[in-house]
Amino acid sequence: MSSMTAAEAASFLSREALYLDRFDFDSWLALYTPDCRFWMPAWRDDGTQTEDPDRELSLIFYRGRRNLEDRVQRIRSGFSVASAVMPRVAHMIGNVLVEPAGEGRVRVDSSFISNVHDVRTNRSHSYFGRYEHELVLDGAEWKIASKIIRLMNDVVPTMLDVYGV
Amino acid sequence: MKSFALRDLIDDRPQDGVFRVNRALFRDQALFELEMKHIFEGGWVFVGMATQAENPHDYFTSFIGRVPIIVQRDGEGTLRCFVNACPHKGVRLVQKLCGSARRHVCPYHSWTFDSTGANKNIKWQKAGRYAPGFDEDNHDLAPVARFGEYRGFLFASLNADVPSLEAYLGEARKLMDLVVDKSPEGVELVPGRVTFTYAANWKMQLENCSDQYHFTSTHPSYIRILDQRAREQVDEVVQSSIGAADFWQEDAAGVTGGTMSFDHGHVLNWGVMPVSAALPEFERVEELTKRLGVAKRNWMFNMRNLTIFPNLQLADNASSQMRVIRPIAAGMTEMQTWCIAPRGESAEARRFRIRQYEDFFNPTGMATPDDTVCYEEAQLGMAEQDRPWLQGHARGLTASVEGGNEWSDRIGLKPARSVLADAQLCDESLFGSYYRAWRERMKEVLA
Repeated sequence: MSSMTAAEAASFLSREALYLDRFDFDSWLALYTPDCRFWMPAWRDDGTQTEDPDRELSLIFYRGRRNLEDRVQRIRSGFSVASAVMPRVAHMIGNVLVEPAGEGRVRVDSSFISNVHDVRTNRSHSYFGRYEHELVLDGAEWKIASKIIRLMNDVVPTMLDVYGV
Repeated sequence: MKSFALRDLIDDRPQDGVFRVNRALFRDQALFELEMKHIFEGGWVFVGMATQAENPHDYFTSFIGRVPIIVQRDGEGTLRCFVNACPHKGVRLVQKLCGSARRHVCPYHSWTFDSTGANKNIKWQKAGRYAPGFDEDNHDLAPVARFGEYRGFLFASLNADVPSLEAYLGEARKLMDLVVDKSPEGVELVPGRVTFTYAANWKMQLENCSDQYHFTSTHPSYIRILDQRAREQVDEVVQSSIGAADFWQEDAAGVTGGTMSFDHGHVLNWGVMPVSAALPEFERVEELTKRLGVAKRNWMFNMRNLTIFPNLQLADNASSQMRVIRPIAAGMTEMQTWCIAPRGESAEARRFRIRQYEDFFNPTGMATPDDTVCYEEAQLGMAEQDRPWLQGHARGLTASVEGGNEWSDRIGLKPARSVLADAQLCDESLFGSYYRAWRERMKEVLA
């Protein structure tokens, strides 16, 4: 099992989405490798996204799961008003394509819609775009080595946290 | 529509130690329309950086108030600013955010303009049976009434009856210099713009940039993470400049910073930060000292949040941000934000600047969301009408003095008023400068 079928990949992505929808952040973090990349590029102009996170701005860029753990800690801290009344979130993922990317490594392309209902303001918003996952085999389990979130509607109403995309 | 008198909106009685602002300024849509006409479309506003249209024929588009504009460089290198609307039917001529073009062709009827704004073609003009008066009309793009540049910062006014740009910016230019002079080559915008909206009045953002009082109350979740990262010093976590400073800590001793107000509504909130490797500017410390002297260099490392009234904010604290405020309605604001950085800095310094920026300033980061949510909660509270006066502009009133202080003197800076503060003073009287400028613009339309 050094590669993945499209059905297996879809199931993996659905599981990640379920963890986010349920705010089961421990399970979510456990899907990532310790040295993972988590990247949501910004848009440079009308049609192109930033490509080099060290020279251009991203909406989110982390190398290392520790940074995602910080995000989760802030959400859970009780000291962030933006996280005090948690929005309700439901992800939909489709158009899943898998490509082998070397021994024990696959690249998975997909589309997402993340429906976010902000309970505090009674407003709903759908974020949408594409995911590019790189998954690696860690023993018998697949882990996320890299996740790129290409957010199409990048004008953010008020705030957006890691669970919302 | 209920009409307001100025004295019912801003209660400014220095002899009685009173400065109060009416909640209506944040909530009333009729006042908002007046603000658009008399503040945003009635005087100097920031429109962009010259580096956004760097090469011949480059352009970018934006808005002044509700009016679409295009800033265009011609083939000779001259920058101009036009209303981005075809004189024919008023169609917005250019739809892209930015680009390069020798000619702009209107998508509706193909009227064509060159990069100086001159009309070069009216489709089938000869066959058009126009009356003679039409030929005598000017068919060029309409230039804005005033357009000027200060060290790469571009400003425009739709109203011709304004002071010169130099006079408008006044002493605040010296604070813009501290941003530009970080590099002998000046500054640039890091590619990648971030735009967000919030459902609250534009003046919430105006104030928040200069609001030292909120930092430890609104951002404890972020501060805890900074503390933790500073203790652990793990390579992979994003490090922070502001975590290494103590001007915001309640037990910091002595003068930790303060505020300054300038004519025309510009204000500075600042905090003492050491000249240290916690800031990406440190790699240039020797060159900066040599070129600018010790005093300016030291000021360059201080936390500085500068507002150029009404719509430009330059924040130098955790990283460096340029914000442009675009009011949409009394209860809706769009923020356009960029990382502004010294040209020619090392790859390592740039990476450090960008990483801090994303974590602190982005609406997808760990600090700004707690601000924008507070703005919206404030907007809800602005509905109260029985007690219209806010109590948020009184703190620091008795500490505010005319002119500058020893800190401003060090760089020859001459503010109209200033407050020298310890860590807990957190002046709010500087906001008075915003509202006095607001009153000045509105005095002819509000009795």
